[in-house]
Amino acid sequence: MGEQTLHALKAVTETIGTGEHVSIIGPSGSGKSTLLNILGCLDKPSRGRYFFDGRAVEGLDPDELAQLRLNEIGFIFQSFHLVPRLDATANVELPMTLAGIARAERRERAREALEAVGLGDRAGHRPAELSGGQKQRVAIARAVSMEPRLLLADEPTGNLDTQSGEQILNLLEALNHKGLTLAVVTHDPEVARRGSRILEMRDGEIIRRLTAAEINDANPSFDRGRSGARL
Amino acid sequence: MSAEDTLRFAITALLQQPRRAGLSLLGVVIGVVAVVFLTALGEGARRYVTEQFQTLGTDIIVVIPGKTETTGMMPGFTGTPNDLTLADATALLRRIPEAIRIAPISMGSETVSYENKARQVVILGSTPEFFELRGIPIALGTGLPEGDIDRGANVAVLGRETARELFAGENPVGKSIRIGEWRIRVVGVNGPRGTHLGQNLDEVSIVPVATGMRMFNRTSLFRIMIELRPGSNTDTVKRKIEEVILDRHNEVDVTCVTPDSVVDSLSAIVSTLTLVLVGIATISLAVAGIGIMNVMLVAVSERRAEVGLLKAVGATHRQVLQIFLMESLVISTTGALVGLGVGYATVHFATWLYPAMPAESPLWAVLAVLGLSVCAGAFFGVLPARRAMRLDPIVALSSKG
Repeated sequence: MGEQTLHALKAVTETIGTGEHVSIIGPSGSGKSTLLNILGCLDKPSRGRYFFDGRAVEGLDPDELAQLRLNEIGFIFQSFHLVPRLDATANVELPMTLAGIARAERRERAREALEAVGLGDRAGHRPAELSGGQKQRVAIARAVSMEPRLLLADEPTGNLDTQSGEQILNLLEALNHKGLTLAVVTHDPEVARRGSRILEMRDGEIIRRLTAAEINDANPSFDRGRSGARL
Repeated sequence: MSAEDTLRFAITALLQQPRRAGLSLLGVVIGVVAVVFLTALGEGARRYVTEQFQTLGTDIIVVIPGKTETTGMMPGFTGTPNDLTLADATALLRRIPEAIRIAPISMGSETVSYENKARQVVILGSTPEFFELRGIPIALGTGLPEGDIDRGANVAVLGRETARELFAGENPVGKSIRIGEWRIRVVGVNGPRGTHLGQNLDEVSIVPVATGMRMFNRTSLFRIMIELRPGSNTDTVKRKIEEVILDRHNEVDVTCVTPDSVVDSLSAIVSTLTLVLVGIATISLAVAGIGIMNVMLVAVSERRAEVGLLKAVGATHRQVLQIFLMESLVISTTGALVGLGVGYATVHFATWLYPAMPAESPLWAVLAVLGLSVCAGAFFGVLPARRAMRLDPIVALSSKG
């Protein structure tokens, strides 16, 4: 085979508006995670441009990108990525710690964030003592602790049972209703259809865009009865 | 991220793998303990000698036959030094106004016996002045007889240990003993003096200097001790001694030693030794540092997901670097502090065991080894921390953890 540059993304031109809830679906290798990493300023496009809140991200240095991730963007991962040795509170505090917020204030804000996700009574537990759904709720509390404007979720329910997944989606939806812009990568159509808009990707391109109205318009590929059969 | 938070974060990370952190810390501990303990021993030796000479008084000059410069040569080529005689001693006393007391000394070892008991004892030949110079009290009887130093009477003052062992409670004064083939009358017994200048004065027996020389068939004195008027310039006196000897021997074939010069040269030896120890410590701490580096490299590769997460939630390169560097620093600093504690405890134990030796680590060596440990942690922590800093967050996040 030899050296060959693979472009995870080809031509993607898309605008995500403030307060939107966008679902990104597609099979493995379709480029949806790469797109999410670019949205989250973890990755820069080798070509093309990405504007975050009107700022061209490719012109920012690594510190400015870190600053952007710290203050404006929250991440939620399929495998939660909690620090195992820290209790729930300390995990939620982590971004605030990096931001240099004083300990007492951090504590207070972490407690509030944990209560908001229904884990007020689990504040002192370590990740190993929490269920998958609880871990993901801690991760959500962490992601919103710095009051970001954009929340990115990569298969947030991928490791959870249906009931926990439902709780997580409800939490994310509630956050979105409060004005937080939400982008969710998934290959579960059930999860995708909660969005106000769906971007379907394949081979690094967006092959289909569906609006809320179209999703609810009994679109066959997102039919409840046949979910998962096609995608 | 505040320094306190970085420190707390580092400590929780290290406590996660306590055995691993402990073992890498041990390397530092051993290095520091070694330096604290060994420099303390060196310093203790120096202080011990200094104290010994202080009890002797600083206004003392010891004249030893032979020139230090000739010692490396074959005696046949340079000629054996002239004997240092009793006549030399009296001449020195007469011609050096600063000399207020003079004690010529002859020395050897002989079997001392009384009735059926015998003992090998160091025999010192000297004059009554010797007792004053060395601060030896007389417990029983009298000291050596005053008078002509050339006329060696067959008398002895026994050390108290020797007297106790040979006479077992009997009063030795006036008794006749044998020293080698010589019949000697005991005139007195020393009071306790203990070990002084490497000699247990409780175990020696002291005879008149001429007796000693005859006993051991010596023509030369072992040395001459001269006590000077307080405040005399020892350098001036040394020069005068050399003039007198030059007059009498046609060459300066003696060495003058002052307590100061002995202490000085010993101090120089101890300082060199301490420097060498610090050098060895540097090497052992470098080895310990490599241990820390190894542990931190493992930690970084195990915690790739954590590094990815830190970056995703907004940690800057600098913060990631600081977090991991802090862990190496915590290991090395803790190791240094534990090492200091253990080192001081060991020194304390040693001084308790040997109270005569006031061992104490010099402050500069302690500070140097502390500084070196912390530097080793910082230096060897850089590579792992940089590796963490350079991890691609996307790749790091996709690893398990």
